[in-house]
Amino acid sequence: MNPPVAGDICPPQRYTHSTVQLFRFSAVSWNSHRIHYDAEFAASEGFPGAVVQSTLHGETLTRYALAWAGPNSRLETASWRNRTTAVADEPLTWTATVRTVEGTRVSLEVAVLKADGTPCVTGTVHIALV
Amino acid sequence: MNVLDEVLTRARSLVDRWEDEDCGTVTVKDFCRYAAALNDADYIDRARNREATGEPVEAPALFLAATMSWEDGPPERELRPDGLAARESPCTMGLPVRQVHGGQTVRLLRAPVAGSRVTASRAVTSAERKQGRSGAFVLLGLTTRFTSADGTELTAVDETIVVMEALDSPGAA
Repeated sequence: MNPPVAGDICPPQRYTHSTVQLFRFSAVSWNSHRIHYDAEFAASEGFPGAVVQSTLHGETLTRYALAWAGPNSRLETASWRNRTTAVADEPLTWTATVRTVEGTRVSLEVAVLKADGTPCVTGTVHIALV
Repeated sequence: MNVLDEVLTRARSLVDRWEDEDCGTVTVKDFCRYAAALNDADYIDRARNREATGEPVEAPALFLAATMSWEDGPPERELRPDGLAARESPCTMGLPVRQVHGGQTVRLLRAPVAGSRVTASRAVTSAERKQGRSGAFVLLGLTTRFTSADGTELTAVDETIVVMEALDSPGAA
């Protein structure tokens, strides 16, 4: 990878979270909120399916950022805001743009988008290139 | 007083009242199961290889931040109807509300290492009533600081929780 510069656009990553993954992530993070694994209950709260956990979005935002930055990178901070709900099996796309580069520190503006481009989550990830 | 006013009153009574929670001693298995839920087989291979050679094993970066509770329980009968425990829903027990995460800021200061004992210190830091496109809600601010036994800060998390009236609540939007 060439040294990053502000304005660089990272290659987008397309993915889905399966129902099984949402259940396993809830289990391993001791999150028993039923909206994340009980689609019928989620529907009773107005959601179209089992809801992707905020912290799972956080994992996606940061993991793709670290994969883009390479093996010698380390996560320093991550900040994200949930804008609309994503659900199990929904096609999602991770996007990122380099916002700043200061020495070995790179900040990315990141987002998770729905198929129509609506942002589910937006945020910032700070990475150290070590 | 309606439901959201009650949430607000409860939350404001908790602001800046810090509580410590013993997260216990974190293990390689904890880390690997977390990584498995993220389909991260490479992490598991690296962690187990390091463990086998006696090298320190660091947790996945967001492991502490993503774990919602470190309690042993509670049993199901003590959960709210939405599945949340009192620990995860400090201001809403017995109230007809829905809640979702608003967002999080996570600062990674030092990676927790397998075998270390971790403490989480947590407080409600703010509570505000807001009006959104889909109706009124209460925005709770929570802060959690994770430290190791020697007091070293590992991870700091600031998060917001959006609390709305239940859809079948008389006052819901």
